[in-house]
Amino acid sequence: MSIKYESQKIAQYFYTFAVVLFLVQVLVGLIAAVQFMRPDIFILNFNIVKTLHINALVVWLLVGMMGATYYVIPEESETELWSLPLAKMQFWATVIAITAVVLGYIWQGLDPQANKLIAGTLALNEGRKYIEAPRWADFLIVVSVLLFLLNCFMTVMKTRKWTGIQGTLLTGLTFLAVMYLPGMVYFKSMVRDQFFWWWVVHLWVEGAWEIIAGALLAFMLMKVTDVKREVVEKWMYIEVGLVMFTGILGTGHHYYWIGTPSYWLWIGGVFSSLEPVPLLVMVWDAFRTTRETRVVDNKPGLYYTVSHAIFNFVGAGLWGVIHTLPQVNKWTHGTQITTAHGHLAFYGAYVLLVLSMIYVTLPAIRGVKSFNHSRALQSFWWMTISMVFIVLVTTGAGMVQVYMERLMGLDYVAVKTTYNLWFWILRAIFGVGFLIGVAIFVIDFFKLGREPLTVAKVATERA
Amino acid sequence: MSNKAARNLFIFICIFFFAIFIALSADTLSQIDKRAPEITDEVNAGKMVWHKYDCIGCHTIFGTGSYFAPDLTKITDKKPKDYLKKFLMDPRGVNPRAAMPKLGINSTEADNLITFFQWVAKVDTNGWPPKPILATAAEVGGAALTPGQSLYQSLGCVNCHMLNGIGGTTGPELTHVASRHDRAWLQGHLKDPKAYVPGSAMPDFKQLSDQQANDLTDYMASLK
Ligand code: HEC
Ligand code: HEC
Ligand code: HEM
Ligand code: HEM
Ligand SMILES: [Fe+2]
Repeated sequence: MSIKYESQKIAQYFYTFAVVLFLVQVLVGLIAAVQFMRPDIFILNFNIVKTLHINALVVWLLVGMMGATYYVIPEESETELWSLPLAKMQFWATVIAITAVVLGYIWQGLDPQANKLIAGTLALNEGRKYIEAPRWADFLIVVSVLLFLLNCFMTVMKTRKWTGIQGTLLTGLTFLAVMYLPGMVYFKSMVRDQFFWWWVVHLWVEGAWEIIAGALLAFMLMKVTDVKREVVEKWMYIEVGLVMFTGILGTGHHYYWIGTPSYWLWIGGVFSSLEPVPLLVMVWDAFRTTRETRVVDNKPGLYYTVSHAIFNFVGAGLWGVIHTLPQVNKWTHGTQITTAHGHLAFYGAYVLLVLSMIYVTLPAIRGVKSFNHSRALQSFWWMTISMVFIVLVTTGAGMVQVYMERLMGLDYVAVKTTYNLWFWILRAIFGVGFLIGVAIFVIDFFKLGREPLTVAKVATERA
Repeated sequence: MSNKAARNLFIFICIFFFAIFIALSADTLSQIDKRAPEITDEVNAGKMVWHKYDCIGCHTIFGTGSYFAPDLTKITDKKPKDYLKKFLMDPRGVNPRAAMPKLGINSTEADNLITFFQWVAKVDTNGWPPKPILATAAEVGGAALTPGQSLYQSLGCVNCHMLNGIGGTTGPELTHVASRHDRAWLQGHLKDPKAYVPGSAMPDFKQLSDQQANDLTDYMASLK
């Protein structure tokens, strides 16, 4: 395995930053989990710790996708990247902007009064989940993303090879960039605020990002098997077409109870119930392709790709559909059931997606033919089993919460501090398991292809 | 289906469903303000305070947000203003076991927040949050209440106090309150909590008739 174009190596910058943030994300996630039992355990309050957790998550996934895209575009366009210096500059600009934002959150955590209102916007934290980044940072992020898109489009224009994969990938990325904008407007009405907030959050993860996932899945299937391009691209179009068919109006599943008209109850219910369908097609696609075609020698790449497809379906599709009908959502809305779904969906759909792309492309970037597979598989099982249990535990907590608080009318705090205590303890324990998996992955990322392979290992991996 | 047809179908779907979504959104936006009270400057200032302290980082509102702390959509229906103000400015001064930190909210900010919550509570949310089914059933079924017990229910003591495993957690648990205080204390405290507990956040119940105050105190005094 080796790369065809020197500029594809830029992907590694992005992967490295993503991997470091992944570690940070899970560390602070673990602190947040402990704060359910001991709120004062850390110098920063729960809200700041969790803000760091989810911002690190979203940013490392985006940075990972950018890296992956910089790898895919030259290969599909059959040319070097339009401008390598621009890509490097864009990388460092992103790192600096993100670091500044993180320092701002920590500052606010230490002194809430520091989050001052300057020229109508809050200086350090906008106080809106996932898009907490202040307005000045929004502009930096937009500039960075525009430079990134420009570089990609100009590369494609060099040879004008609009392959299906890169056309779809860039469609998804453009859609992603555009959907960031509705989050940059202030609304006096909390209802309008949440209405547009969901444009960002829902149309990202159930629209733009799924399109990107569909395109990258097609790319990876072509890398780990010798399947024909025509076949994967056709299924890719069908998958992303179904994603848009169900996902756009599926936004309605967030418009049941926030002060929006009641017609969203049935529109959201009907269309979001269909959202698992494209995810199921992706699973079938991954299985069929890997069964029917010869598999190339990159077991971790294959492993992660297929599990991404499976857990995308389970986490987003199944754990999403169970609470998506208004009759159910009325009781489960905003409970630990939502947390359970959020974790398995993000893990399956996007964490595993970026990790798969790393395992599919990193050996080529490092120029190695074989590498030690054992750590990749170990970290996979540590992470996946721990995550499944974290999700089962929070689903349990959610069921108790729905029954006790929502159906019986017990107090929120009473349920949280007494009936659900065991679930919090278990979540923290499985969180440690997850952290172990991440640690193994991080070590593997830095060592992959950089250590001598023993003869025995090469022999077993060839077998 | 050819690749080209599949691609065109994808493009068509994108355009078609986006068009519908935009049309529905336009209709929704034209209705939103009619489903909510007018937004005054105080409501907007309160919303800004909500963002400033990142309340959504722990709480949900309209059920959206974080799941570390209770939903606040109907909070002003459940708790009186004075109590809320005290709690916002110093949670542990009201409830020593509170997990909510003291964020440095000042008096104006607290007032604006409460005005904002009053606005939120009046938004038409298609009936969310729903009334608990089993609690409603128990109220209908449990006919044999003493006068003191039914006052305890109707005056909303249950929103703040835990009794036999049911009720809120912001005030002290009352299951064995009579083992801590005598009858005179309980009756006096009910009418004027601050006279008995300096800085108490409990609302006073001066408006009760002597008969009602007696019935309620009887009930409290029976909780050994
Ligand atoms: C670090 C997490 C955290 C933050 C930030 C936070 N809260 Fe809280 N809040 C809680 C918790 C937990 C409770 C439940 C009672 C307790 O244990 O303190 C609570 C309780 C409340 C209550 C009382 C609810 C009741 O039923 O008595 C109100 C009102 C409230 N919060 C408003 C706010 C507002 C307004 C903000 C932002 C200015 C805010 N909170 C920020 C954690 C937080
Ligand atoms: C908005 C919240 C709230 C409501 C409603 C409320 N209380 Fe309280 N109550 C408190 C707080 C806070 C305290 C602790 C401060 C104090 O002792 O005054 C308290 C204290 C008490 C105490 C003393 C407990 C002890 O162990 O010292 C009694 C008795 C009591 N309340 C009875 C009642 C009764 C009866 C009602 C209904 C008529 C009621 N409360 C309604 C908040 C509330
Ligand atoms: C990859 C795709 C997905 C991801 C990453 C994802 C992630 C999330 C997250 C993080 C939340 C919580 C948002 C918050 O913090 O308030 C959420 C909410 C929700 N998701 Fe998903 N989701 C995905 C797909 C789906 C699908 C396919 C469905 C339905 C079939 C679905 C149904 C829901 C519902 C109903 C809610 C609202 C829960 C509530 O009422 O509290 N999701 N999703
Ligand atoms: C890659 C793995 C992970 C992903 C993708 C992820 C994702 C998320 C997301 C999207 C949220 C916001 C939605 C919500 O509030 O529920 C969240 C919150 C949270 N996460 Fe994670 N997380 C991961 C790992 C962990 C781990 C290992 C722990 C620790 C055990 C953890 C603990 C938490 C906690 C406590 C919250 C707050 C939940 C709440 O408000 O109730 N997460 N995470
Ligand atoms: Fe959604």
